[in-house]
Amino acid sequence: MADHRDDFIIAIRYALLKKGAKQKFSLFFLILLSISIITLDKFSLSFMSPTRAVLNDFVYHVSVISSQPTRLRRNLVSKTKEHYNVKRENIFLKKEMEYLKSQKFNNAFLKSENEILKKALEMSEDKGFGQNFSISAKVMLDQQSPYLKSLLLNKGTNSDITKGMTVFSKDYLMGTIIETNFLSSRVLLLTDLNSKIPVIIEDSNANAILEGTGKKNRLSLNYLPVNYKIEAEKIIFTSGKDGFLTAGIPVAKTYLNKKNTISIKLLGDPDQALIVNITKGQIKN
Amino acid sequence: MHYFRLIKNKFFTSIPVFLLYFFSFYDFEIPEVGKINFFAFNFQMILIYFYVLKFPENLGFGNIFLAGIINDTVLGTPLGTTSLSYLTLSLFTTYIKNATLRSVLTAEWFTFVPALFLSNLVFLVIINNFSNFSFYYVELLQNTFFTFLFFPVFYYVFIYYQRLISKD
Repeated sequence: MADHRDDFIIAIRYALLKKGAKQKFSLFFLILLSISIITLDKFSLSFMSPTRAVLNDFVYHVSVISSQPTRLRRNLVSKTKEHYNVKRENIFLKKEMEYLKSQKFNNAFLKSENEILKKALEMSEDKGFGQNFSISAKVMLDQQSPYLKSLLLNKGTNSDITKGMTVFSKDYLMGTIIETNFLSSRVLLLTDLNSKIPVIIEDSNANAILEGTGKKNRLSLNYLPVNYKIEAEKIIFTSGKDGFLTAGIPVAKTYLNKKNTISIKLLGDPDQALIVNITKGQIKN
Repeated sequence: MHYFRLIKNKFFTSIPVFLLYFFSFYDFEIPEVGKINFFAFNFQMILIYFYVLKFPENLGFGNIFLAGIINDTVLGTPLGTTSLSYLTLSLFTTYIKNATLRSVLTAEWFTFVPALFLSNLVFLVIINNFSNFSFYYVELLQNTFFTFLFFPVFYYVFIYYQRLISKD
């Protein structure tokens, strides 16, 4: 037991006093120095304050210099974060811009729709459509299938639309209602093969039946008088012979096509129809 | 060429001293993870323990003392407190070095526990008796625990470094 304690004391003494190959101070001396400094600092002797002040100044200045890598790191981190924030913000702003653009287009669309509606209203009043030409509807779908050239409207029987009503876009005849639902209806366009209306050609007494062919620039006139030679740039009006449509509604016009032959095209453009007016068949003049 | 090699050797063997001073001058900060700073540890203590144990010729006691004084100035603790704490650690480490015959990481790692304990005890005793500072004991405990935990990592880093410079 005594040997073991002796070994411990020897080891401690060795550790305290041996300076080692490259040690300038022994641990014992340095520990004593530390304790002295602590005591001096505790009792705040007169020379301690200026010593500590000088030491503080020196250490603080060096400390500021040695903290530069940390500052650099912080700066780099904050800059990197900033960069990614800017990137994220940029993506967000791009999306917002796209959204605003779409809103702008939407506004433009609404504006033009509004103008069209205004014109339609004006037309209703000017042309005396008030009684029969009272229903305005919006084109929901432009159904240009190979089987049926038609438009789908957003109004149906709930707005008193019935089969057989005629549909106008701007001042021009577009077609007739062939199908009605509660909230929608279908218009058979004049361009459809099944469309047939009695017409009269400008500056002549020639009556005919205007038939669709599926194309708005290639309508056909049937039952024309024998030897009648059709001329270009003539307006085709409704003749009113069916007793349904008022006479004199401009429907189509003749023109000279690229092959120098006469063709007939609709005055109105079904593809451009957005708001249409629906009447029971006659325009009140 | 000879002088150049000497300077190079001197530079590389002085790196631990430089690190000790650097981390004493500069209050080492590691970003907090969550609410607790899990990675806060006392690098100087690992450095002192390792070098006093393995390569005492590369880290003098005088430097350890001075680094402690600087650390006290930076932290604002009574002058000499950290020095005494570091020197206690050095004393214990020297004792272990003299007492042990074979160097094994696990043994050295576990003897680091009483070394840390003694060192922190000295520090706390001085702080409690020679100043009006109050301490967050939990934080100090965390710090000590992570200092202990990270020792093997730095052990291998320092060993690798010493091998590198001894090749030159």
